[in-house]
Amino acid sequence: MRPVARSAIATGLVLLVSQSGVAAETDQGAQLAATCASCHRLDGGGTGIPSIIGLGEERLTNALLAYRASESSNHIMHVIALSLSDEEIASVARYVAKQGSNPR
Amino acid sequence: MKSWTRREFGRLTGAALLTALNQPKARGQAKARVVVVGGGIGGATVAKYLASSATAVDVTLVEPRQSYTTCFFSNLYLAGRRPFESLGHGYEALARQYGITVIHESAAAIHPAAKTVALNNGSKLSYDRLVVAPGIAFRDRALEGYDDAAMEIMPHAWNAGQQTRLLRQQLESMEDGGLFVLVAPPNPFRCPPAPYERASLVASYFQRRKPKAKILILDAKDSFNAQDLFQDAWNRHYPGMIEWLPAQFTGGVTAIDAKTRSMITAGGTFKAAVANVIPAQMAGRLAQQAGLANRSGWCPVDPVTFESALQPGVHLVGDAIIGGDMPKSAFCANSQAKACAFAIAADLTGSARFPAHLFNTCYTYLAPDDAFSNAISFKPVDGKLKSVISFVSKVEESSEVRRQAARAAEGWYDAFTHDVFG
Repeated sequence: MRPVARSAIATGLVLLVSQSGVAAETDQGAQLAATCASCHRLDGGGTGIPSIIGLGEERLTNALLAYRASESSNHIMHVIALSLSDEEIASVARYVAKQGSNPR
Repeated sequence: MKSWTRREFGRLTGAALLTALNQPKARGQAKARVVVVGGGIGGATVAKYLASSATAVDVTLVEPRQSYTTCFFSNLYLAGRRPFESLGHGYEALARQYGITVIHESAAAIHPAAKTVALNNGSKLSYDRLVVAPGIAFRDRALEGYDDAAMEIMPHAWNAGQQTRLLRQQLESMEDGGLFVLVAPPNPFRCPPAPYERASLVASYFQRRKPKAKILILDAKDSFNAQDLFQDAWNRHYPGMIEWLPAQFTGGVTAIDAKTRSMITAGGTFKAAVANVIPAQMAGRLAQQAGLANRSGWCPVDPVTFESALQPGVHLVGDAIIGGDMPKSAFCANSQAKACAFAIAADLTGSARFPAHLFNTCYTYLAPDDAFSNAISFKPVDGKLKSVISFVSKVEESSEVRRQAARAAEGWYDAFTHDVFG
């Protein structure tokens, strides 16, 4: 579990960064999340493809680790997750957890 | 006009750097200029990701059309399963939300030495970096007799738009019992599963409205993408309706007679009620004229930055490039475009570089409620884009799994077009 205070600071930083528009050039998570956006809407909208918005960093991290470990639940996510290192999974989960209309 | 070099940028530190990154448009003189020619999936994605990730870059998108019609999902329209309008996407959000200058003009010529692009209206654009996303053109004289006039009688419908509507009109007015002939192109071509998805979805339309109609695929190849999945589905959904003739049986189609709607092969002449002729392809005309394509007809690029191997300062993405193991698909174009945008941003602003991740994902319809998917990851190895891991749906999957994939595909279309144009 992440300390509440650290999470709040991180949220503030990411919001600042997304508003100033420099997120993707400074943040590996933002560049990795560009791959997510090819199938998942990052504004929380959309149907048919499960939403990844509002899940929180820990759930996103665990989901990516599970997809990486096994093909059984979804072969598309298995291929995506297999290409990611532990560090990349942490960084994209951190970024995506902050997206959407009600970032945590 | 001065462009940023990385060394100049590196001299700035701390607060100065933040100020530089957030310079208002009025100080545009100091900004690097990127011109993107071609507003299809690759070009629009590069423009959006550059504009949203690098504030020190001015992005101009040159695209003659007011609205882009997606090739993907146009087979559902051909089958009467989707309105034509649902395939169209405008450029308003790219201009309004991302500050991209959208110019609805055709590019007449590229001058890499002078770093300018001449437009058809006589104006000229200067750039620090140019991105060309020209899509495909049809090879000259690939099929004797298949000229502009013949295309209005036997449409290719391989650039979506008026051609797609024409093919739909012809399918609708065809009599029950008629023969629909689809001429499938040689490799490499735009969207490897698409001719066979088209045959599948047209069959689903015939089954409902013209059950005595037949479909004949005259292929330039002896095998095709996901062949086991398609042939299994054709037997299950449309028994006896679709016949596939590989090149080894006919020698392939060599000529077209538009007057009689006939396809001429060494193995005989085939006369159609409706014909869809998809010719052999190459990189779009602008790439050919600008010396961006090599003798293969396609454009060699650096697999990390997507910079042309023939013209420095010019980048290419999408169907026009020699993509190694990456197929010519909208998904690949989108994936390459993001890697290209981040590489250009890093070059122009000196920002951090991270390893690119390149993927292809395809949802392909076998019937309106039966779709399969695949996923492939790629990475640059020895100057080429190599596939790393690949998974595809299996023939023995349950109908429930396939129904779910068909539903996911609808959601994918919404999210993907939002990613490119939203």
